[in-house]
Amino acid sequence: MATEARDRIAARDRVEARRRQAEAPSTVRDDSDDEMIVSFPEFIFKEFIAAVAMTVFLVLVSIFLQAPLLGQANPGVTPNPSKAPWYFLGLQELLSRFPPLMAGVAFPTFVIVLMILVPFLDRNPSRRPSERKVAIILFGLYMVIVVALVIIGTFFRGHEFIWNWGWVLGSPQTCGGAAC
Amino acid sequence: MKVIRGAVDEMWSVMEQMVGSVFRHGLPLTDKIAARTALTNFVLHIHPVRVRRSWIRMSYTLCLGGLSFFLFIVLTVTGLYLMFYYVPSINHAYQDMRDLQFVVTFGGLIRNMHRWAAHAMVITVWLHMARVFLTGSYKKPREFNWGVGTVLLLITLLLSFTGYLLPWDQLSIWAVTVGTNMAKYAPIAGPYTRYLMLGGHAVGDATLLRFYVMHVVGLPLIGFLLMVVHFWRVRKDGFSGGL
Ligand code: HEM
Repeated sequence: MATEARDRIAARDRVEARRRQAEAPSTVRDDSDDEMIVSFPEFIFKEFIAAVAMTVFLVLVSIFLQAPLLGQANPGVTPNPSKAPWYFLGLQELLSRFPPLMAGVAFPTFVIVLMILVPFLDRNPSRRPSERKVAIILFGLYMVIVVALVIIGTFFRGHEFIWNWGWVLGSPQTCGGAAC
Repeated sequence: MKVIRGAVDEMWSVMEQMVGSVFRHGLPLTDKIAARTALTNFVLHIHPVRVRRSWIRMSYTLCLGGLSFFLFIVLTVTGLYLMFYYVPSINHAYQDMRDLQFVVTFGGLIRNMHRWAAHAMVITVWLHMARVFLTGSYKKPREFNWGVGTVLLLITLLLSFTGYLLPWDQLSIWAVTVGTNMAKYAPIAGPYTRYLMLGGHAVGDATLLRFYVMHVVGLPLIGFLLMVVHFWRVRKDGFSGGL
């Protein structure tokens, strides 16, 4: 690099450093949770780390876990059991137990409307968990039921969607009598 | 000699000007510079310039809303790649999937990433909803944004569901047959709704095209617009912050 250019950069850096010192906050940071801080770069850096971690995780999973691809679709051959994607298995489970109008239409509609109305139904102004025991217990119950139904649908429903202890019988899936 | 030195100097200052035109404020060494950077940068401006330390503790949001959005971006990028090779017709779809898996460079990896990111997004959105509930963050003045969120959850599920049909294998068509069968139980509208979704009485070519169009254009567009509103409201309502 030319010496003139180097000198110029050094001079500019000195000016910059002096300006920085003049602009530096006079108070010492208090580090308390209530302190107002500038979101860039600390906050943005945290987000960046989270995004990188997620990317690494996804690439690793995708290297070792193959997405399923069965035989070509054949409208003439119905696999038994036929299952919805896992996030709809809770609904399928309800359908296998209750009348379709109730399980397939009334119940999901009710849950969606109820969810949107939650902020208006919950009259308790507090946000502290210790003062919202009822809300948290009800929500916890909802979560447990949903997760349980999905797990049952995924692992414990075999042929004809009949209850099947997966580890006793395996999960025999047949296509019109023959194994798939 | 002098001429060369002059030329080098000139090139150096052009380079400085180029870098300076992109990064206008240098390193964020003081709060003032950092604030100016955030305010004038397109990518950063969706963030508040100042936040309370308690708001950005990862133990509060667990990054779940942000991760949901990030997964949406990952799905858009990997999805574009898949679209180069995929034709939504029952004569091509399945073979295209096999080519992606075995022939196309990085096809298998990108397909896997698209698939697992989709599952992950259903989970992160769900957990984000749980975080918002458990911290009571839906309370006044954020009632509306909770509603927007609920619709976003539904869009996320529908995106996953429409994508499920596209590989056109035995898993796809029967899962979608079971899923769309649920619709027909609605009184009066049921059978029509199902017909509208399938473009016929059974899952076929018309269904594949409908699901494809909704999967790659309709639902992502609605979802993106709702996300814009969602983020806008997070800013305007003020982030709920620590308990
Ligand atoms: C595609 C799906 C979604 C995306 C990308 C998304 C994204 C975000 C982001 C980035 C935030 C900022 C704070 C944080 O990261 O936690 C946020 C806040 C919020 N989200 Fe979502 N969200 C989604 C779905 C939902 C759902 C399903 C709900 C609830 C039913 C919801 C309700 C809210 C509320 C009420 C806030 C404000 C929270 C506060 O101020 O503490 N969002 N969302």
